[in-house]
Amino acid sequence: MHHGRKDARHTMSSAASTANTPVRFALIGAGGMGGSHAANLIASPETELVWVVDLDLERARSWAERSGGRATSDMDEALADSNVDAVLIALPTSLHRMATARAAAAGKHVFCEKPIARTVEDATAMTEACATAGVVFQVGHVVRFYPEYARIKRVIDEGLLGQIAMVRTMRRSGPVMERSPWFADLEKNGGLIIDLMIHDLDTLRWYFGDVERVYAHGLSYTEWQQTRDVAMASLRFRNGVIAHLDASWAHGGFYTAIEVAGEKGLLSHNSRKNATLTFESSEKAGITNSLPSIAFARPSTANPPMRELMHFVEAIRTGSPVLTDGEEATRTLALAQSVLDSIRTGRPIVFADDATATSAI
Amino acid sequence: MTDSTRAAEVRCAILSFAHGHANGYAGVLNSLPDAELVVIADENEERGRGAAERFGTAFVADYRDVLARDDIDAVVICSENARHAEMTIAAAEAGKHVLCEKPLATTMDDAQAMIDACAKAGVKLQTAFPVRFNAATVALRDAIREGRIGTPLAVISRNPGTCPMDWFVDPDLAGGGAVMDHTVHVIDVLRHIFEAEVTEVYAEADTRIYDIPVDDVGLVMFRMSNGLRGSLDTSWSRPKNWPIWGGVEIEVIGDKGVLKLDAFNDNLEIAEIDGPSYRWQSVEHSGDPEMIAAFVHAVKHDEPVKVTGEDGMRAMQVALAAYESMRTHEPVEVVTG
Repeated sequence: MHHGRKDARHTMSSAASTANTPVRFALIGAGGMGGSHAANLIASPETELVWVVDLDLERARSWAERSGGRATSDMDEALADSNVDAVLIALPTSLHRMATARAAAAGKHVFCEKPIARTVEDATAMTEACATAGVVFQVGHVVRFYPEYARIKRVIDEGLLGQIAMVRTMRRSGPVMERSPWFADLEKNGGLIIDLMIHDLDTLRWYFGDVERVYAHGLSYTEWQQTRDVAMASLRFRNGVIAHLDASWAHGGFYTAIEVAGEKGLLSHNSRKNATLTFESSEKAGITNSLPSIAFARPSTANPPMRELMHFVEAIRTGSPVLTDGEEATRTLALAQSVLDSIRTGRPIVFADDATATSAI
Repeated sequence: MTDSTRAAEVRCAILSFAHGHANGYAGVLNSLPDAELVVIADENEERGRGAAERFGTAFVADYRDVLARDDIDAVVICSENARHAEMTIAAAEAGKHVLCEKPLATTMDDAQAMIDACAKAGVKLQTAFPVRFNAATVALRDAIREGRIGTPLAVISRNPGTCPMDWFVDPDLAGGGAVMDHTVHVIDVLRHIFEAEVTEVYAEADTRIYDIPVDDVGLVMFRMSNGLRGSLDTSWSRPKNWPIWGGVEIEVIGDKGVLKLDAFNDNLEIAEIDGPSYRWQSVEHSGDPEMIAAFVHAVKHDEPVKVTGEDGMRAMQVALAAYESMRTHEPVEVVTG
């Protein structure tokens, strides 16, 4: 939070990003997530996409054409442009530290996709680099910007459910590694835990604070991990809450669910059950087909990636605190790493009072 | 046992209505052509007389009076968990076959003594695990065995419920709380489907919902001898005004697909203008009828029971290991020898 105020001083000295002039972005990485961010950067009147950086220059150009910006395969070319206020980093996880350090050194505000990094060491260095440079640093833990998860936090905080007892989260998806093998790269990407379960780990930290003890099962270190992955984690929070989280790249389609049981009541949300729009294909229907024939959606005026982007823009303009800053994201990453460590060692991982995990054997 | 019709019947008694499941079992016994509910024994006279009236049968206060009769073939024991051993051993010594409510007992010593007493007396001992007999559970088992989901990789399960209160929250009578109450059904189903044992347990459990002396939330993480990893949520996390008592959900994730059992999901949702906003009414009750019928069949034809005392003991052992892990915060090895 202190960084937010420091950021405010920085931005007030910058004429380029005062209120109501669009914040000018360089997008670094124009793949799947990058493309989704590019669309929002183009759509919002609060932002301008002035550079698109991608090693695949054609891909960069196709977005640059749409945004009226420029394309390059050299990120330093974009960072050297004084018309760039901020970068949006949507690179493979292992490149986050390098890109963040260079952007911060160039005085650009940094929005980095989740997970913040593959290692806590990298994450800490990134956070420090942004603090030293006095730039805003936000990590894309987008679930905090989903209306349902934000509302659940409100319901919990308002005490409607009383003391919280048991929480369950689910995050299930198809075997994404079949089309993009890098998802399963434990060393560079971190696999299922660091890439997918981290969403609910971050959200539950947001709800309940620090974790005391972690124990988990999963396929991360089995021969299945390259084609299918499932994991389940038991978390004991310092405030006593017990949580069970699961994550899967072995289901038929994407959905999430959460249930919060407290002494005064029970809350649940399931993205399929609570979908407001369902599409059911009559082609290739049937449960034996590998293609999902039903799609569930919840169209909303509150586009969560746009909301997190506007949160970042506001922090740049006003110095308002960043909900998912480097320190928060680092703690979430440390928690995710502890889940992976527990799976690897078969041991519970206990966090010390300073939230650092005891080394797992 | 004088006329020929009577001779074909298995004459049963229910010993204690402390556990509400006795109501379901009594109804099934009354509906089976080859069984007869002859008498209900309950030291709680009001409870026992009420049940006897509802099910149109006789009542006695002292279960030993039932065991002394020679016209009773089998007893269904639905007393408090900690009293299963005393009643089962007495029944065995009186030559009665036993269907015992779950959990089989509250200690390994008690469970073993029950198994030994029944073996010595040559009577059958079946543990009451109706979920194993539920039609959807049978379909789940068959689908897994047919390879529909390929190789099973993980199990995510839960048996959440409302808090039953009463003696269920008395540690001396129940032997524990939510973990003791709700570990054994799912573990039994998994042992049955995979023909494997639980080998290691880690658990978090605590009292966070009610002002009671036992755990009301529990999370059991386990490994099985076939390499399968799983989790089981045993919590009494359904609020007291929940439309039904709870449920059993078992999701088995394989490399070719996912099977999800939600055994008590076959409900009609009914909203009444003068009632609660809505309530659920089961379409069918599957589990109890098949389980009771299997017990009656085993007794009648002198065949082995489908769910043994050993099965009951192994499932209970997992709950006991969970309690040890809850105290030590360490994974606990489950030795099944």
